[in-house]
Amino acid sequence: MKILRLILLSLVTGILLAACSMDLETELEYQSYEFSGIDENAGTWKPILISSGSQLSIDTPSGVESAEFLAEVENVKSTIASMSGDQRKNVDHWTNNAVLRWNEVALGLIAKYNLIPGPNEDESYTLPSPANPAGPPVFPFAHPPYASRALAYLSVAQYDGLIAAWHYKFQFKRPAPYQVDLDIPHAYVANNLPSYPSEGAVLATVSRKILTAMFPLEADYLKELEEQHLESLILAGENVPSDLEAGKKIGEEIAGIALARAADDGMKYAQSPKAVSDSLRAAAFERFGWQWENLESPVRPVGLTPLFGQVKMWSVPNVEDTRPVVPPALDSDAFKKDVKILQDYADNVTHERRRIANFWQDGLGTYTPPGHWNDIAGEFILKYKLNSIRTARVFAYMNMAIMDGGISCWDAKYYYYYPRPIQLIKDFETIAGTPNFPSYTSGHSVFSAAAAEVLTYVFPQEGTLFQDWAEEAAISRVYGGIHWTFDATVGTTQGRDVAQYTIDVAKMDGADN
Amino acid sequence: MKKYFRTLILLCAGLGLSYQSLAQTPTDGLMMPKGDICFLLNFEYGQFDHYWEGETLRKNGTIAKVQRRTAMVMAAYGITKRLDVYAGLPYVSTNSTTPNGGKFAGTSGIQDLALGLKYEALRKKGEKGELTVFGSVLFSTPVSNYLSDYQPYSLGIGAPQLAWRALVEYEWNSGVYLRGQAGYIWKGYTEAEREYYYNDGSYFTSWMDVPSAWTYEAVVGKWFMNKSFRAELSYNSSRSTSGDDIRAYNAPQPTNKVDMDRVGVFAQYFFNKPKGLGVVASYSRVIHGRNAPEMTAISAGVTYQFGLFSPKN
Repeated sequence: MKILRLILLSLVTGILLAACSMDLETELEYQSYEFSGIDENAGTWKPILISSGSQLSIDTPSGVESAEFLAEVENVKSTIASMSGDQRKNVDHWTNNAVLRWNEVALGLIAKYNLIPGPNEDESYTLPSPANPAGPPVFPFAHPPYASRALAYLSVAQYDGLIAAWHYKFQFKRPAPYQVDLDIPHAYVANNLPSYPSEGAVLATVSRKILTAMFPLEADYLKELEEQHLESLILAGENVPSDLEAGKKIGEEIAGIALARAADDGMKYAQSPKAVSDSLRAAAFERFGWQWENLESPVRPVGLTPLFGQVKMWSVPNVEDTRPVVPPALDSDAFKKDVKILQDYADNVTHERRRIANFWQDGLGTYTPPGHWNDIAGEFILKYKLNSIRTARVFAYMNMAIMDGGISCWDAKYYYYYPRPIQLIKDFETIAGTPNFPSYTSGHSVFSAAAAEVLTYVFPQEGTLFQDWAEEAAISRVYGGIHWTFDATVGTTQGRDVAQYTIDVAKMDGADN
Repeated sequence: MKKYFRTLILLCAGLGLSYQSLAQTPTDGLMMPKGDICFLLNFEYGQFDHYWEGETLRKNGTIAKVQRRTAMVMAAYGITKRLDVYAGLPYVSTNSTTPNGGKFAGTSGIQDLALGLKYEALRKKGEKGELTVFGSVLFSTPVSNYLSDYQPYSLGIGAPQLAWRALVEYEWNSGVYLRGQAGYIWKGYTEAEREYYYNDGSYFTSWMDVPSAWTYEAVVGKWFMNKSFRAELSYNSSRSTSGDDIRAYNAPQPTNKVDMDRVGVFAQYFFNKPKGLGVVASYSRVIHGRNAPEMTAISAGVTYQFGLFSPKN
């Protein structure tokens, strides 16, 4: 009867399990909060794309005593009074730090579009094209370099837009509707930020515009999000319509400036024709005696973005200054030692190594390693209760460093054209997917070290943690069987080195004073 | 003798060994004598080189042909005349044939422990034959740390499952029988080794909701050779109640809406000597699916039944 009891117990457990349902998080869980400070002087910080916050101009607002303004306030009051349940939910969703929300929107789009085009019936491949975004295949393929760039432009434009907003907020010091009329309920924790121009409106417009350029098929979805966000700023008691108008103007202008840079940064040439990638391959073979090959079936004729290494960097004057040393020759002891390590990991997949390989894999269909580090940054931004401009600053410098790291890494990848483990170790099998580009150095290692370095600069008290994670992300690729140990270790050093250029810029922008 | 024989055969057969999510199910039509125990040792080989990505059948050079081998031991025991208990434990190994474009390592290990009960709700003998109605419940849960988020090589879905089934069988005196079955399988959550995934939107968690499913089966069979041999044809179907489609040229994941329709043949032979020993064999093929492999499987097994507490002669 013991067996029977055990079975009955299992069944009861099963039934209980069937009754419970988990709450799976589909967004970062946070609500409006009190900022650790509001940075009254942030309007004087040095932006990235423009000379100063005052470079973007907006009209002088109507005064708090004016009939125009008071009418706006009355209007806000009646709009709030007729708020629907869905509108209430939107207000709660956007919170008083919408930088995180728009970053999260970007991560979702990256994951949605991070799908590698498959072969056609005749075994040829068609590349995604911005001229025909609907495809097939759809544009873009949001691979890690693409993701790093989308996040960098988004964050930089947000940051510059908020510097301009802060400049005028503290020049005009126009109070928010909830401060003017005590009958107006304020949906968020009060931080006493002046209301004109609305920083939320800057974010809504700049984010919609940058992300629409990066993900053109999402134009309608992004427009809807922008409108929801703008509407929620009124409904939250934060802004009057003229606050929004001024914010939208700043958003439009700074997004235009950012996109003009993007149009001319060299990304459109990154996915080079076969002749170019073949000549890079031949040059490497000539110099070093090795050449990476794609082993997919059918073979992809060109690796991923061979000329991403020539894209314009944010903080590094010359990419070759950050190019790492030559990797081990294929007949060297260092190389043979690595083959043994890789074989040992493949033959002995421990639970811990498998967990690490998967945790940092961030492969196809996910938000990529740059996205993972944005996710991590968000957690610490909330932990330290940063305001929205500080939040934008963290993302801006981190994503600049990540993108610069990616550019430096891709320069090394296609300069050295170093083969992957599956190409050089006979019958080798992996637990992670081998990507369509050369091995040396590891993108994960460079992206992660660059991100960790900037986060260590911003949150020095957490530095050890970030550095440990970056190293774990790097070695995860070796555990996965798709990188050599020197791809990881050299890549980590490279990422730290590249990030230093951006940190030097950050230290001079006035925010540390 | 005749009754004993039939009980034995039906019990040990048709335990419904099948690929992945359907797991092993006590889906036969009769009950064990009280105190009897039956063991089944079964081997299954399945393979596919096409799968449905959403509703589009495709091949994929990254995985080439995927092979899947399952060895399973199962036991059934008659607690009372009308209540049987089941336990099953499969060992699974998977891999791609070479050459393939992905160079992914296959996996192997113990999958899910299954425990179940079956209750005879009705037995009615008429002039022309006999009608029986059963209800069964089967619980299974992973017993090793295999990774469900490693498709198509994962050993299973990595989540607890609870399957409720109702079976109706009618057997004519001629030995021809029809069986119908309908069931609902609740499938719980599986934990991936990553903290973000996409399922028609972002999920910031390592937990994935595995869609539950409705299952249906229709079987026609006949006894031959004085009830020592039988053969049957089956059609079964499984429909997830939720889930997303596999995205273009992307790997499947446990959140997918998996539907499949399968046809199969099954045969069983029971030896006169040594008494209690039988063999089973089956062939099945998925003929239609959604986010499912176009799996073809063959299996063979041995059954042995004996009285545990009341030995029979």
